[in-house]
Amino acid sequence: MKKWFQKKNKESNESNESKESNESKESKESKESKESKESKESKESKESKESKENLSEIMSRLKKSSDFICYSNNHSLNPFYISYCKSLVNVEILHRDILALINDKPIRTYEELKGAILVEDIIITSEIDKIEKLILNGFVMIQLDEKDNMCALARAELQIGRNISIPEVEFSVIGPKESFVESLDSNLNLIRRRLPISDLQIKEVMVGTLTKTRVAVLYIEKIVDKENVNTVIQRINDIEFDQIIDSAYIAQMIADNQNSPFPQLLDTERPDRVAGVLAEGKVVILVNGSPHALIGPTTLIEFFSSFEDYFLSWHVASIFRIIRLFAVTFSIFSTPIYVAVVTYHYELIPKELMVTLVTSRSNVPFPPILEVIFLEMAIELLREAGARLPTKIGQTIGIVGGIVIGTAAVEAALVSNVLLIIVALAALASFTTPVYKMNNTIRLIRFPFLLFAQLWGLVGLVLCFCFLLVHLIRLTSLGRPFLEPIYPLRWADLKDAFIRLPFSSQSKRPILLRTKEPNRFNKKQAKEKKDIDE
Amino acid sequence: MPTAIKERFLVSPFLVFFLVNSIQIGIGVLGFQRYIAKSAGYDAWIAVLAFGFIVNLLIWMIYNIMKKGNGDITVIHRDLFGKWIGGLFSLFFVVYLLFFTITVLRTFIEVIQVWMFPEIKVWAFSLVFLILTYYVVSGGFRTVTGMSFLGVVLPLYLLLTLWFPLEFANFRNLLPILDHSLKELAISTKDTALSYLGFETLFMFYPFIKQPEKSQKWAHFGALFTTLIYLVLTIVSFGYYSEKQLAGTVWATLSIWKIVEMPFVERFEYIGIATYVLVILPNICLSIWSSSRGVKQLFGVKQHTALIVLLVIIFVVNCLLTNRTSVDMLNTNVSHIGFYIIVLYIPFLFIISQIHHKVRKKG
Repeated sequence: MKKWFQKKNKESNESNESKESNESKESKESKESKESKESKESKESKESKESKENLSEIMSRLKKSSDFICYSNNHSLNPFYISYCKSLVNVEILHRDILALINDKPIRTYEELKGAILVEDIIITSEIDKIEKLILNGFVMIQLDEKDNMCALARAELQIGRNISIPEVEFSVIGPKESFVESLDSNLNLIRRRLPISDLQIKEVMVGTLTKTRVAVLYIEKIVDKENVNTVIQRINDIEFDQIIDSAYIAQMIADNQNSPFPQLLDTERPDRVAGVLAEGKVVILVNGSPHALIGPTTLIEFFSSFEDYFLSWHVASIFRIIRLFAVTFSIFSTPIYVAVVTYHYELIPKELMVTLVTSRSNVPFPPILEVIFLEMAIELLREAGARLPTKIGQTIGIVGGIVIGTAAVEAALVSNVLLIIVALAALASFTTPVYKMNNTIRLIRFPFLLFAQLWGLVGLVLCFCFLLVHLIRLTSLGRPFLEPIYPLRWADLKDAFIRLPFSSQSKRPILLRTKEPNRFNKKQAKEKKDIDE
Repeated sequence: MPTAIKERFLVSPFLVFFLVNSIQIGIGVLGFQRYIAKSAGYDAWIAVLAFGFIVNLLIWMIYNIMKKGNGDITVIHRDLFGKWIGGLFSLFFVVYLLFFTITVLRTFIEVIQVWMFPEIKVWAFSLVFLILTYYVVSGGFRTVTGMSFLGVVLPLYLLLTLWFPLEFANFRNLLPILDHSLKELAISTKDTALSYLGFETLFMFYPFIKQPEKSQKWAHFGALFTTLIYLVLTIVSFGYYSEKQLAGTVWATLSIWKIVEMPFVERFEYIGIATYVLVILPNICLSIWSSSRGVKQLFGVKQHTALIVLLVIIFVVNCLLTNRTSVDMLNTNVSHIGFYIIVLYIPFLFIISQIHHKVRKKG
């Protein structure tokens, strides 16, 4: 069978070439002559003529590419013409389910063709745009008449992609171990399986003039606030760009404030997290070719909650969250405070501590700010180098950088011991942030704080903090306040912010989302009070 | 003419608590003790309480005025006094708020100069601070409110530091109660007033409150909270300082912080002053927002333009005030004007508006 196919393939390639040259040189003539042969099409209207030209134009354009295949079976009784893109089509399906079945049967109409082929997705159409789109998405075009616009398109997509593997960025010790892959359909499958309800709706949009990327917007109809969905779809539709390679493109393009260093949509690679937030009433965006889903509207606090928090008992989860928030604060403020205190406010430190600090700094020839910037830069270099290298070498880099350079720098009296400890701790603390993009932001915003601390000490530090606060107050995610539930203060939403209260107290969905159904379950029914020994 | 403010610009009623509280607690907290003890001595805490009561009365009046009107103070002025006289009153109000802002900012810079950085450049600090202010106010009233909210909540921990002076406090200082004449108490009450200033911005932001009627209790609570803070601070300071010490201590609260000692921190006043940026910022933002809004209402210019112009004025005036005496003079004058605005003008406006509405009802 394969041999047959290859033969045909060669033939068709040859014929393609000859056809091409013919068409390009004397296209008008040949068309006219072809038309005159056809008695059927003699009464064609002008419009369809134009569209036919379009189809042949498209075909000739496609034929220029060497992976496009176009041939006929040369059967006098039962002629048909097959065209497809070799790189997109699963040859096995083509042979087993299409060619084997139609080769010898007498087929007159497209309906008969549809009946004969075993592929479930067959589209019969004459719309030029649709034909082009489908061919370029792995459909096989079958024409009974080469001159006609009418054709049948059978799905024979070649599906190559990564298998579903464990999450690497958002790893969790317990809980589901599946993560998204690049294929949109696999990802949708992962979500659908977790939410087998008819209310889960998927709206697909095509974005990118060149990449034609499929972007899916997911939400649960009966819960979600329609305004959020409309905002998302509207903004995605408004995107004018040639390529959408990853969901990060979308995230940046539809962000409320594109000049903010803060990510305004949560990205996750965990289908369980996506299912979880869908049930809360959020909107999820999936992009074909990207293993990261986008979640919105989101809040600042959500970036510091790991989905693992929901798998642990609520006390443990709450403590972890608080530790994470503390870690973030520490990682942003520790070195600027060091600069402020050592440069300006020696008096702040009690004598005993001062002794330690002074001895460690006594041989360092630089002012604190230079010392800090030197060390921070070293840490950033290590991170950046570690991120660009394969995992195993990355570890080596960590050891070399952390231990060797660190110790050497202290021994050479370039930096002080205390600072080394602080910087290392700060770096460690910044890794506790579960979302990588937020992690990067925290890396970045430390530097303005350093500058302000150098400028005006603690006052400068608080000034910079005010800038940060105002920025966060002004920031929105899909039009919803980013700093909620802190400002605007919403007590009810604090149940799942700094701490995570038990599920029994999570009866309400977040107020932020203005869901159609604010209750997850009826708290009164769920909680029947029982007396002792009853 | 008065257009309703769109809903997405409004703030919840309970936030009025933070708005009122944040604008009242300002630079005054750092050193009001000396002024109030000048005439009434250790009895001045009664003055604090008394004026707290008066403030609540005035807030009640403001709410009564605002409920009857349909818009902010500029609209009410126009309705009561006509376009020109009303406009003049409004202009005066706006200018007063502007000078209030200048005073607060300049005094804060003075504190930083005295306590932390004697060398700090006034223009540089003003510039950064005003850019910050611009960033807040250009975000609209909701951002200003957010800053007020955080400006009350975040520095609340400073109250805990009042625990430390208790060790050295001697509350018998307060006894005997009421050994000053009523007149002395009255003067002291007047001096207290200066620390409570700012809540008259309610006149401007009232239309920006969602269901404003519901917010009245929050405004009262806010003022009560202010009174409570001042009262606690007064009593602690009176226990801590002798009367003579108090007379010579310009920044009594800051001096109290000096003795705060923790295992990892000494000389707490540095942290206190730094944290005070968070208290001063909403103060300045709210008053600048109010005055720029006033300019917009009066002259029909964009609030954005008005804001920039006002900020430039503040910057220039701030740079011109170079010495301690001029700052002091500004402080005294603005405080006096503020005092008369709240205790004379608000009741006056209240009576006029009551009469106006009675007449209109009959008509």
